[in-house]
Amino acid sequence: MTRASEIVVVGGGVIGCAVAYYAAKRGLRVTLIDQPRRGRATSASAGGLWPLGESIGLGCGVIFYKAQLEQGKVAEAGGPSQLPRAFLDFALQSKALFPTLAGELRETGGLDIELERTSLLFVMYDEADEAFARPLWQNCPCGRSLTEWVTPEELGRTEPAVTRAARGALRFNGDDQLNPYRLADAFRASARTLGAKLLPHTEVRNICVAKGRVIAVETAAQRIPCDAMVNAAGAWAPEIGRMAGIDIPVLPVRGQIVATETLPEVLSACISTTDCYLAQKRHGEIIIGSTTEETGFDVGVTPRALKALTAGAIRAIPFLEQVNVKRAWAGLRPGTPDELPILGPVEGVASYYNACGHFRTGILNAPLTGVLLSELLSGAPLSFPLEPFLLSRFGAHRDTGASRVGRAR
Amino acid sequence: MPRTVIIDLSSHREILWAAEETAGAIRADQLIVASGAYERSVPFPGWTLPGVMTAGGAQRLIKTLQVRPGRRALITGTGPLLLVVANQLRAVGTEVVAVLEAGRHPRWPQFLVKARGEWGLLKDAFEYWRGLRRAGIPLRFNHTVFEAHGASAVEAVTYGPVDPATWTPIRSQAEQVEVDLLVVGFGLVPNVELTTLGGCDHRYALELGGWVPERDACMETSIPGLFAVGDGAGIRGAAVASLEGRVAGITAAEHAGLLPRAEADRRRAPFLARLESLLRVRAVLDGMSRIRPGLSELATPGTIVCRCEEVALGEVQMALAAGARDLQAVKLLTRLGMGPCQGRNCAPAMRSYLSHATGRTAAEVGRINPRPPVKPVRLGALARMTRAMPADDPFQATIREALS
Ligand SMILES: Cc1cc2nc3c(=O)[nH]c(=O)nc-3n(C[C@H](O)[C@H](O)[C@H](O)COP(=O)(O)OP(=O)(O)OC[C@H]3O[C@@H](n4cnc5c(N)ncnc54)[C@H](O)[C@@H]3O)c2cc1C
Ligand SMILES: Cc1cc2nc3c(=O)[nH]c(=O)nc-3n(C[C@H](O)[C@H](O)[C@H](O)COP(=O)(O)OP(=O)(O)OC[C@H]3O[C@@H](n4cnc5c(N)ncnc54)[C@H](O)[C@@H]3O)c2cc1C
Repeated sequence: MTRASEIVVVGGGVIGCAVAYYAAKRGLRVTLIDQPRRGRATSASAGGLWPLGESIGLGCGVIFYKAQLEQGKVAEAGGPSQLPRAFLDFALQSKALFPTLAGELRETGGLDIELERTSLLFVMYDEADEAFARPLWQNCPCGRSLTEWVTPEELGRTEPAVTRAARGALRFNGDDQLNPYRLADAFRASARTLGAKLLPHTEVRNICVAKGRVIAVETAAQRIPCDAMVNAAGAWAPEIGRMAGIDIPVLPVRGQIVATETLPEVLSACISTTDCYLAQKRHGEIIIGSTTEETGFDVGVTPRALKALTAGAIRAIPFLEQVNVKRAWAGLRPGTPDELPILGPVEGVASYYNACGHFRTGILNAPLTGVLLSELLSGAPLSFPLEPFLLSRFGAHRDTGASRVGRAR
Repeated sequence: MPRTVIIDLSSHREILWAAEETAGAIRADQLIVASGAYERSVPFPGWTLPGVMTAGGAQRLIKTLQVRPGRRALITGTGPLLLVVANQLRAVGTEVVAVLEAGRHPRWPQFLVKARGEWGLLKDAFEYWRGLRRAGIPLRFNHTVFEAHGASAVEAVTYGPVDPATWTPIRSQAEQVEVDLLVVGFGLVPNVELTTLGGCDHRYALELGGWVPERDACMETSIPGLFAVGDGAGIRGAAVASLEGRVAGITAAEHAGLLPRAEADRRRAPFLARLESLLRVRAVLDGMSRIRPGLSELATPGTIVCRCEEVALGEVQMALAAGARDLQAVKLLTRLGMGPCQGRNCAPAMRSYLSHATGRTAAEVGRINPRPPVKPVRLGALARMTRAMPADDPFQATIREALS
């Protein structure tokens, strides 16, 4: 592949910003175009970096599974779905980039991403929870070294705010957190320092394809000729894909989330239960997430979700009952049928690249996505095999109907 | 439902209410939002010192708590409320050294012609002014506060003239006065959080206090069946508010099939006529105390502009330097408006500041999007949410009686 010199990145969420940063770092000329849409995922996110938890179905996975179970939509005993090995390896490799990245971004962009070592605790309430957790501990795909069985006594000692009714917990070391908006901001600011051009509040209206390759991207005001373009438009990626004649099976998956008022430090780990997950951020608020709903582009919050999330949070941390809610909101995850991101080139349209479909883990997987795309764009050898993430895994990708998210297995 | 707040409104007119112990949702076919206004904050050095308070805060102390807020006071801001507060302070024994009105002296002849037929609206203002005169309290037009001084509470205030057109402080003519109370009243900002969450179209109207919902003549917003009235739809005072409420109520009843069209028209007509007459006068009043951009120059880099998150103006200036061009971007870079008040206090002033600094319109500078809950609510109340109304529904019968 030849070195592309003018690159346009469409979409300025965490993924677009990461791609712009790593591409600029390689000396490529990058223009990042973003039109903020209501419900964009990055500003809604919790900021959990949970490669282990996410790949075995904790976080939103187990909450969603329990809700489905209660509605009779899935059969008993399967447990939340586990993602393929390729996902875990990708996520672990991406997670490993954060410590160095944090320093780089501070130096180049002047922003602190508030990376914290927390670990993730799956807090168990009953036999069913234990039955779910025990095999994960015994046969964790990452091996025993990163997991730890926590007795109720130990849990009471390390997390005194957690309910005494818990039967203990399973700890995942290496599952941490940061401030997600700061991550996107820091990527953006650093990309800018490295020479990337930013076009904020600018909508991409059209993509010009000639002789099977993208030659320009158009906004209302200008036409930007390019040698390559990256589709990082999150839940709106299909809209951008269509402009280039490519059908992308991404669907918006709403996640509702609640934040408490600022509290003194009461949690040292991130907590995941079958009702919700909880993470106390640097500024003291506790984030309580989240639902998994296919309701189109609606970004409202619903009474039902508020009730479920607050009740779940109080069950895990009883004193929260007396605490005020500061904010509730919803974001749109870019979901895909197999819950894996869609990355890399597309057959038939040269110089077009996907960086979309990051579903629940776009924050966690932003660094490696950025690295890979920058390698593709500059023709460098790849740090991670791309095959499991190519659009072509879904078969025909021109003019197929978009399929449902997450239920393909 | 007393002691109950509305914390969210969805675009299909479903409200979420919350009380101390529980919460619930109600889907309404016709919904009237009358959410009122809140006081506009204008940051200047020293504005967060104890002893500096809003006009409303001073009134609450006097009226509700029967407390004398200070011994010696200076009053600054704009609008007739300043005169009201001056008289109230004097009545409880506070010495008022002066009232500083940032706006210009009213040009009476022009004014009186416009006010024809609506003397009632002006009578009170005249009374208050007369009270001030009698007490020998100077009222200085085109003057405003520059800075409040004090170690742990306000001890002195620097103030001076402003440019009549822009309200830019003329610092070379600053004066200082020793006071232990500074009352600040720069008018009101419509509380449009609910209509915003409800999906209504809004427009920016400086003369009405800021963002206001678009409405038709019968107070219906762009969402059918959703009405907005009173200060929450644009600052126009109590008389206008109650007329708008009547018009919206009649129209909602008409939509609900409780009043035939002709009857609704007949009932609305006198209120609509009265509104039209009142609004002519208001337009003049509002023009005088319309907030001007020069006030943005009062704050210095060290001045706190967002009290919840303790963000100083210097941080906002850094965000601007880093490329932020609107409130949302400034929020993400500085945490401005991320606190419990959701930007209610800081957003109006920072909107003026950003538009002053970037040369963009207030509308372009945008808004901090409200998120539920718009009023404080405990997790416990939400967790106990029910679908039912808290008590038996006494409204239906009363409404029918009132309309028959
Ligand atoms: C409630 C919730 C909690 C989450 N928690 C976590 C978590 O703990 N950890 C984690 O790793 N992930 C989490 N996620 C997922 C994560 O937020 C997403 O995977 C990630 O943010 C996706 O980033 P993105 O850049 O692809 O999309 P987005 O952030 O949505 O960015 C896409 C951008 O493209 C713009 N755009 C769209 N169309 C156009 C156009 N035509 N022209 C120009 N710009 C356009 C959009 O406005 C937007 O700014 C969470 C998501 C939600 C909703
Ligand atoms: C400090 C102050 C002094 C004033 N002094 C005078 C004066 O002297 N003379 C004069 O003519 N006018 C005065 N006004 C203006 C006058 O009060 C208003 O014009 C008038 O009250 C507007 O009526 P309204 O019904 O639109 O709003 P309001 O009277 O403000 O009523 C709004 C109501 O809605 C409630 N509310 C808001 N949000 C929610 C929610 N989410 N859930 C539940 N309830 C909610 C509020 O608590 C409030 O009770 C003053 C205003 C203020 C703020």
